[in-house]
Amino acid sequence: MSDIAGAKLTFGVASGRTLKWLVLGFFLVFTFVPLLWLVLSSFKTNLELTTRPFALPEVWQFQNYVTAFRIAGLFGLFRNSIIISFASTAITVLVTSMAAFVFAREKFPFSNVLLSLILAGVLIPIIGLMAPYFRLINALGLYDTRMALILTYTGINLPISTYLMHGYMRSIPGELEEAAVIDGATFLQRFTKVVFPLSKSGLVTAGTFVFLFGWNEFIYALLLTSRQQVRTVQFGIRHFVHQFFTDYTAMFAAIVVTIVPSIIVYILFHERIVKGLTSGALKG
Amino acid sequence: MRRISMGLLIGALVMAAAAPVTGAPGQEGAAGEVVLDWPTIWVPPDSKSETIAALIERFNEENEGAIRVELEGIPDYDGYADKMNTQLASGSAPDLFIFSPNPTTFQYYDSDVLMDFTEELSGPWSENFVSGYIEASTRNGRTKTVPYEIGLTPIWYNSAHLAQVGYDEFPATMDEFWALADALKAADIVPTSQMTGGGNAWTSMLWFSHLAGSIGGPDVWSKPLSDPVFEQAAAVLMRLYQDGNTTRDAVGGDAGVSGGHYMAGNTSVFLNGPWYIGRIRNDAPDTYSATKVAAAPQVGDHHGHQIGFMLSNLAAANTDDPNRRAAVVKWMQFMTDPENVRFVSEAAGSMFSIKYELTDAADPLQKAFVQASSDATFVIPPLTVAHKVQVVDTFKEALAAMALGEATPAEFVQMLVDANR
Amino acid sequence: MIVRSGRSWFWRAVFLAPTLALFAMYFVYPLGFVFVISTLEWNGITAPAFVGVQNYLDNFQARQFQFALRNNFVWVAALAVGKISLAALVAMILARQPFAWRLLRTVYFLPIVISQVAIAMMWRAIYNAEYGIINQALERMGAMHLTRNWLGEIATAFPAILTQEVFYIGYFMIIILAYTMTIPESYYDAAQLDGANVLQQERYITLPMIKPILITTMTLATAFALRHFEGTFLLTDGGPAFRTTVLGLQLYKMTAALDYGHANATGGTLVLIGLALITVIRTTFGRRDAASDSAQ
Repeated sequence: MSDIAGAKLTFGVASGRTLKWLVLGFFLVFTFVPLLWLVLSSFKTNLELTTRPFALPEVWQFQNYVTAFRIAGLFGLFRNSIIISFASTAITVLVTSMAAFVFAREKFPFSNVLLSLILAGVLIPIIGLMAPYFRLINALGLYDTRMALILTYTGINLPISTYLMHGYMRSIPGELEEAAVIDGATFLQRFTKVVFPLSKSGLVTAGTFVFLFGWNEFIYALLLTSRQQVRTVQFGIRHFVHQFFTDYTAMFAAIVVTIVPSIIVYILFHERIVKGLTSGALKG
Repeated sequence: MRRISMGLLIGALVMAAAAPVTGAPGQEGAAGEVVLDWPTIWVPPDSKSETIAALIERFNEENEGAIRVELEGIPDYDGYADKMNTQLASGSAPDLFIFSPNPTTFQYYDSDVLMDFTEELSGPWSENFVSGYIEASTRNGRTKTVPYEIGLTPIWYNSAHLAQVGYDEFPATMDEFWALADALKAADIVPTSQMTGGGNAWTSMLWFSHLAGSIGGPDVWSKPLSDPVFEQAAAVLMRLYQDGNTTRDAVGGDAGVSGGHYMAGNTSVFLNGPWYIGRIRNDAPDTYSATKVAAAPQVGDHHGHQIGFMLSNLAAANTDDPNRRAAVVKWMQFMTDPENVRFVSEAAGSMFSIKYELTDAADPLQKAFVQASSDATFVIPPLTVAHKVQVVDTFKEALAAMALGEATPAEFVQMLVDANR
Repeated sequence: MIVRSGRSWFWRAVFLAPTLALFAMYFVYPLGFVFVISTLEWNGITAPAFVGVQNYLDNFQARQFQFALRNNFVWVAALAVGKISLAALVAMILARQPFAWRLLRTVYFLPIVISQVAIAMMWRAIYNAEYGIINQALERMGAMHLTRNWLGEIATAFPAILTQEVFYIGYFMIIILAYTMTIPESYYDAAQLDGANVLQQERYITLPMIKPILITTMTLATAFALRHFEGTFLLTDGGPAFRTTVLGLQLYKMTAALDYGHANATGGTLVLIGLALITVIRTTFGRRDAASDSAQ
């Protein structure tokens, strides 16, 4: 290697590294600033928020948090959100991984047509389905229950979850299953012992999506429930939206309070499960 | 790893199964007791929520064993409207609910879903109401909702700003207003708050309604949108967006922008209803104490009018059960009792379609609103109440086009006409 | 390779049943509802009238619908191409496990847990003409002439909404990253021995290997782009002069106006466009997305 080529390479590596950190740094700022801004804003008055949105609060308004808890009744709402989000996540992931298993690992007539049909569900603008969903839940006698939301969130997320699970299950090498069959594994065991455990990555990807959907959803939660006892944290946040104005800073305080559990769930579940990926069976 | 994920899954499923699936609402109480569910938009921290809750508590005590009203707080105004529309379209109206009257919602009068109060409201009960509101709630001779909260949206102005440039009263004509605007700009003050966002361009839509009233008079809304009145009003509104007469963020700005600039003392003139009094008193005490209200400057043949409208009527689901019907009527009469209304009005700062006297406990600015209402030469509704939702949705976009120089006042009016097809 | 075992018909049915039942309830029935109502003139109150395809024709003639349609296609390009490229770029960098990569992975994901309302409020504040941070910075640099009412001007409003959305790559980045990290390290070791530099390794090993997941994420991004609604609703509500509106927003507004016929015709149009686009993506890329990529 000549000196010039060597210098070029070093330069290339150095500028590549700079570029790499520029990209990572940019996205770090882009994603972290909203969180910081949200927390800072939740300590301001509404007037400060509009007129000096990027300054530090003049007087830190801890009052906003008191308001958020007192008025929005966040504690009771948390329980419902946790139950509804977890349950819909668990049911969605279980149900769709079973279906995805059949689609990915079995051959039967029209399986492709059926799968494409389900995947097309990803395209449906959910906002346009208020009337049919309301009728459906009423017909099932589930109006104003947690089950109404658990079922609806499961239903809405079926296509995306099936799509993701199917993708991951397809990529599992067939040899593993064959070996299990030779060892006498039944259909059920092939699913529980081989494919399902190996689809962690898909489970996590789909599960995270479903969980966050349930945690952040508002329109159907509003439409399908009416009593405080079954409502989710999003109701707490919307308490500050009035007909003619919105109390944004108290709302931000409520948002900060509600995203803390999301972040904890994310870090605990996601990080732990994803950790297994780098040393998973698919590797090497 | 597998254990963990399976464990979590099973845990969550157990939680889901264990979660009590509670029964459907509308459960009957003790034998013979009528239970009425009332989904209400007045939830904390709305200023009316506490007093309404106290009223309902008293009503339930007075009618113990016979009627019980269950409050169901529903936050988020748009969400409330969506939910009510969906329930009504599915034929399952809530027992009691809040009805926001406009040409779109008046379509519900064409069906049987709403309880009809025509008979009751033609009797002595009607004397509780300020004249005109029952008629305004009547279509084809049927009164299917009960007038309740009203809004009045006069001009708000910062009297300290005006004094600073030598005015001790709000200008009576538009020419004088433009002179005031120039004086304010010379003192580095932006004359008006405007907005094209926030769903209906609220502040600017009110300006437009005031201007249309001044040109077209009390019957302005019965004229077709193609009438020259509206083009003239649009031309004045366009000028309010030009030459620094409003802030730079007015196009696309929402209520936070328009109200925020006024509260912060950046602008001198603002339009809104009495519900904003509490907000400004808390957030901007200086602006609050400098605020006075006035009628809009005269631009046509008419002056001294105000924009006022029915903000929330009370409505109920139709029923064949005479007991339920009697219970609903009793509740309606209780809610519109002048003494009960005064109680809500003073505590919440809102105005009502019912005859009552404010005591000294009321806010001075609120009293100024009541005064402005009784001083008004005539009162007309704003565009949002006079026209259907499609026109309102188009108004703000057509206004933005006009403010950005994309449309002339004539083209602005044409867009409204098209939306009204 | 498909493994076959006896008596699996019963189990196949059992495994498929819950998904199919829920799918029928939540998609087949509502979609039927949408297409039926799209042929009616109906306000949800009085008796409906059958109007055939008139609602669809009305929609396509309305100016705001045309803006919405055009914008939806731009959204598809911005998300399916722009956002996925950025997500793949960052995923490829993080897959090499640079300093603090676990932390970065978490932070990049965080905006997804924050409610859209808060994110939109922040961007309204950033773009605001009077107090916004962009205009303040430009003024400080003496570039007063470059300041804009970013969300209020026809030339800047739509690009402003697109820009903030395209850079929130967290969710797709995580999916791509997880997939990338399953590529055996031995492939890279071999390439290293052959003298391939980092860029060459990414170009000739990573990219071909992650192609299935790229197509999966592009498909999802296309679907999200067509369904896009909340961000625009909160940032501009479709303004100024309908320049930023999208079909989802039109649908919502028509529903609120009790114009169920046109609203459902909009919904039906969205579904048909989506089916066409997804078919194009899947056929163009040889159906080799993760969902149809069989394990050879």
